[in-house]
Amino acid sequence: MGKTQRLGWCPYLGREVDMEMKPVVELKGLTKTIGKKKIVDNLNLALYPGQITGFLGPNGAGKTTTIRMMVGLMEPSGGEVIIDGISLADDFEGGLSKVGVIVENPEMYKYMSGYKNLVHFARMHENVSKARIDEVVQQVGMQNRIHEKVSTYSLGMRQRLGLAQALLHRPKFLILDEPTNGLDPAGIREFRTYLRSIAEKEGVSIFVSSHMLSEIELMCDRIAVIQNGQLIDIRDMAEARESHYYIEALPTEAAEEMLKAEGFAVEAYNGGFIINAERARIPGLIQEMTAQKLQLFAVQPHRKTLEDQFLEMTGGGQIAEAHTK
Amino acid sequence: MPKLIQNEWMKLWSKKGTWVMMVLLVAMIAGMFGLTKWIQTMNDYDEPDWKSVVQGELTNVQEQLGNPMLSDSKKERLEGKEKILEYRLANSVEPLDANSREKMIMDSSGIGSIVVLLTVIVAAGIVAAEFSQGTIKMLLSRPVKRWKILTSKYVTVMLFGALLMLVGFVVSVVCAYLFFQAGTGQELVWNGKEVVAASIWGKGLYMLLLSFGNVFMTATFAFMIGSVFRSSSLAIGLSLFIYFMGNTVVMILSQYEIVKYIVFTHMDLTIYESDFRIVEGMTMPFSLAVLAVYLVVFLVISYTTFVKRDVTA
Repeated sequence: MGKTQRLGWCPYLGREVDMEMKPVVELKGLTKTIGKKKIVDNLNLALYPGQITGFLGPNGAGKTTTIRMMVGLMEPSGGEVIIDGISLADDFEGGLSKVGVIVENPEMYKYMSGYKNLVHFARMHENVSKARIDEVVQQVGMQNRIHEKVSTYSLGMRQRLGLAQALLHRPKFLILDEPTNGLDPAGIREFRTYLRSIAEKEGVSIFVSSHMLSEIELMCDRIAVIQNGQLIDIRDMAEARESHYYIEALPTEAAEEMLKAEGFAVEAYNGGFIINAERARIPGLIQEMTAQKLQLFAVQPHRKTLEDQFLEMTGGGQIAEAHTK
Repeated sequence: MPKLIQNEWMKLWSKKGTWVMMVLLVAMIAGMFGLTKWIQTMNDYDEPDWKSVVQGELTNVQEQLGNPMLSDSKKERLEGKEKILEYRLANSVEPLDANSREKMIMDSSGIGSIVVLLTVIVAAGIVAAEFSQGTIKMLLSRPVKRWKILTSKYVTVMLFGALLMLVGFVVSVVCAYLFFQAGTGQELVWNGKEVVAASIWGKGLYMLLLSFGNVFMTATFAFMIGSVFRSSSLAIGLSLFIYFMGNTVVMILSQYEIVKYIVFTHMDLTIYESDFRIVEGMTMPFSLAVLAVYLVVFLVISYTTFVKRDVTA
């Protein structure tokens, strides 16, 4: 409980983010209770312009419920969703006009053409011109088939159309739930590059929920992890990548003792160790180890994969545990 | 709001089913006229003299008026009829033949029942289909309040019903001109003071308006069931069950006072233009008031469930 509070009110900011910058989205004490069960429990989170935040959690952790409360599909039992300074409870239309959404697979009207679908959604926003529709169609590369019925599209094309409808009104905040589902590798890369560019050039804040951890790893600046309805961690991807080193030295026991004596957090990994250290300390450490006649085989920056981090944070067996509850 | 209605209208007409319904409507009405014409040519018998028929009717009406148990409303109606019949005999004004073009234009009850069936299908599906196709998530995560979206859907259903009525009327007028001869007689009405000639077109459109009441209520009911249970088949089934069973229920309950307050008794407003009533002692304003109460209840249920619902699936 205390941990969530601390994280919520002092958001962990990425490198590029200016401390003065106002968040685009704030979740304050967001709670959803269904029956007696708390699906989402006092969630606090701030999302900033130009940042791509990954939203991770085991099945049933409350990801989808959180996202649905952010876009008005579900009513929060407590707390607030504030978008660009507007609380959704006070001014639903004002707040949501800044948001672009793809909730899970974009279900379009299959019996209409892609273009008519876009016209349909454009009419639900203010100031989306015909020229803007054409521009978005170009951006997602659908100009050749946009006038064909959606029922003839492949899953990948539907995803593109889903992205197009989310971008029509130039949102300040984009929510994507499982966005790359159904795209081929080239499509995924293109999609990732595109998201990066609108985040950087237009300062759009992007919130991506996905089960594809490698995908999130490549795309996001930071990740927020939810478990059992509570936000358990927010961390910056860039820092998580750099601050670990892998060391392999013999004899193992002596090496471990020495590293612990130096004050590092040591973790056994593939016959060596992973330590949490700043770059500046590494040369000194190597000298020290050779001075102590340790046989040093390898010292290299270690990138903990997101999968490692994720399992570490959520305790791995959580899914099974959640099911037996 | 106009943009939202435009959206619903576009979606409605992008479905093949809607066009099929339109074709069906035209075919069924034309078919009904064709059938009537065919029956008419088969029964080729000599018409009895109209004067003796009117005389017979008059005697019948006068006999009924002699009954002391007669309710006020029925008495009033019979007196009006008596005046018309007397006028016909006195001024030698022939009544319209049942198979005349004018009679066909004035009687639009057939259109009403087809339109009810078709409008109920649209009303039942317009909300339920968004849920079953999963598009509801895309529709409700927009900067538009939910009550506006539901209103645009409701208005679209009613516009569709009205359009079907109109198309049905146009088709039956065309068929009436194609298949039937103009009658030699004249339609008369008693306006409370004197007997006057009735306008064929006025009466035709008025009947159309009255039968729209039934479309309106049944479609609103289907709309409610569709948006509460998110199942269009349930909504179609229940609505049509009620539509067909309504009269039976009224028959069963006709001895009790409660019959005046159930919706079925009032759904068919064309009874006020006919001589036969299951329940006596009701007036048009009373029926409209009862219908209004039911309408408000149906709509309140639809709106509250739609606006409050958490979209989960």
